[in-house]
Amino acid sequence: MAETSNPGGSPGTWALEAYGLGKRYRRGWALRDCSFRLPAGRICGLVGPNGAGKSTLLGLASRQIKPTEGDLRVFGKPVGDPEVMPRFAFLGQSKPMFKRFTVAETLRMGSELNPGWDAAAAERIVRSGRVPMDAAVGTLSGGQRTRVALALAFGKRPDLLLLDEPMADLDPLARDEMSTLLMAEAVEHGTTVLMSSHILAELEDMCDYLLVVADGRIRMAGDADALVPAHALVTGLTRDGDLPPALARHTVIEKRVQGRQFQAMVRLDGPLSGDWQLSEPSLEEVLLAHLRSPDAPALYTPGAQIETHGSMTA
Amino acid sequence: MSTTPTGAPAARTARPRVLRGLTWLVLRQHRTALGCIAALVVLGSLWIVYQRGQLIDLLAAAGWPGKTVPQPVVGEGYRNLTSLLGLLPGILAVFLGAPLIAADQEQGTAQLVTTQSVTRRRWLVAKLGWCLLITLVACSVLSAVFTWWWRPYRSVLPDIWMDTSVFDTTGPVLPALALFLTAAGITIGVLVRRVLASMVVTFVFCVAAQAAWGMFRDHLGTPRTVTYPLNADFPAHLADAYEVDRWVGSADGQLHGWGSCAEATEKATNACIEEKGIVNNVFEYLDHGQMAAMQWTGAGILLAGAVALTAFSLWWASRRPL
Repeated sequence: MAETSNPGGSPGTWALEAYGLGKRYRRGWALRDCSFRLPAGRICGLVGPNGAGKSTLLGLASRQIKPTEGDLRVFGKPVGDPEVMPRFAFLGQSKPMFKRFTVAETLRMGSELNPGWDAAAAERIVRSGRVPMDAAVGTLSGGQRTRVALALAFGKRPDLLLLDEPMADLDPLARDEMSTLLMAEAVEHGTTVLMSSHILAELEDMCDYLLVVADGRIRMAGDADALVPAHALVTGLTRDGDLPPALARHTVIEKRVQGRQFQAMVRLDGPLSGDWQLSEPSLEEVLLAHLRSPDAPALYTPGAQIETHGSMTA
Repeated sequence: MSTTPTGAPAARTARPRVLRGLTWLVLRQHRTALGCIAALVVLGSLWIVYQRGQLIDLLAAAGWPGKTVPQPVVGEGYRNLTSLLGLLPGILAVFLGAPLIAADQEQGTAQLVTTQSVTRRRWLVAKLGWCLLITLVACSVLSAVFTWWWRPYRSVLPDIWMDTSVFDTTGPVLPALALFLTAAGITIGVLVRRVLASMVVTFVFCVAAQAAWGMFRDHLGTPRTVTYPLNADFPAHLADAYEVDRWVGSADGQLHGWGSCAEATEKATNACIEEKGIVNNVFEYLDHGQMAAMQWTGAGILLAGAVALTAFSLWWASRRPL
């Protein structure tokens, strides 16, 4: 898993490809100059602070928002092509549903509007949560609603599942249940998942791919297993109250100086030699360092990089 | 919850699916509105049939048309009926048109439907098509039934044909007016994106539009003019004509205002008439025979407006995020 695995590299093997993607609202750019690739079959976490452009990116991928510039492809097809519609499912944060519909009617809606509807899968998900089929959706609890929404999403048999903070309003028990359900279904059908989340621990458990956005730009993209070892947490003595110049040939993401001691999150550009203490950071530490330092250059692991956009490399 | 029976899918799937796809979804989502409108059409039609029967009995007892009948021949029921028919386009616009898309935008269900495998345009076409079709059918039926009552008995019924309560509730005008106002309500809903706000704006729009429509009605036909001697009786064939204006005129065709010789005494009046050489009454009017042409002209204008509004809201909602 350390290598970004995508043998063959034909267009269909990329679930998402963005080329210079941008979206401008009246207030300004929500997302700009966004280029990355997401290989099929991965569980990808979409991380970033509020207002970073996560929902905009998911809105673009689910055809609810039209890009101002650039190009987005879903399994090799332009996102504007109606043919991509059966291939993805989207679950928004508010999980909108018809409140007066019963659960059965909600699933029927899925079967009426989707050509490849898998009624058995959808009903299995609903029944395994003991959600009554004849209950109105408006009377269900948050966890039950999320379960019905996931049943609707998986009943569509999507190749790509887009989730916008799906667990945000759930209690810990329901969240655990939904995560388990989501992972089981995704693994069983080989579904690519792109999910935004604030909960870094959740991402660490579930995701093997990461997309980090801040200020409307991609900060990091690639294998979770490859992104972390590219960084080191360096502790040592300061020189003239600042970092030692020997560190300057590496990319310093974040530094903290306390008295004579410094601690820095460094992206290694070669062997690191010096009288310093090195430790491997956790995923959470790497993510936080990048989110706190939006000016650090973006990092892509090899497969996530779009070739035509070659100015920034890992 | 743990006792919920979970093994009875057969009962649900056994029913044959008559409706499919978006049609099923739209009708299921709006089934309450559909039921209300269907009930309104059926009960309204029955009410008209009942009142018509009562009128026929009353006229037969009075020997009409051989003899005259004492007015009024209809009571409160007729008044309420014409009021209801007059309000119907506005009611449909406010309660059916305005929330049609706005409610889905407000509750996020627009997002739910358009991230299934149907495009936004197909969904909008289904929603608007259903809404406008039900408006057309409901208003056409009520208009036809009411016209069937009003037309043969118009000479004994209290309203004349140019009144709002007749002109706007018979023939093609009722459905056309309802389609125009409902299309306006949909457009307002698409623009405002909030249910309550769009209903209020639509209500205000309906009041203003119907007031403007009332003022515009006179201009749908070309007025005709008749000249008859000053002392002659009003021509009998013009009994149901709608008066646009009325003058007195001299022999050389010069017109004077209707009251220009209304003096305090008969002597002064006669002197004035003599002095100005007034010999004729001049009556400018719209004839009842023009009613159908005027109604179809007006309906055509309203339908053109409805088409333009529908096209605009489809275009607007398709190009913007919902």
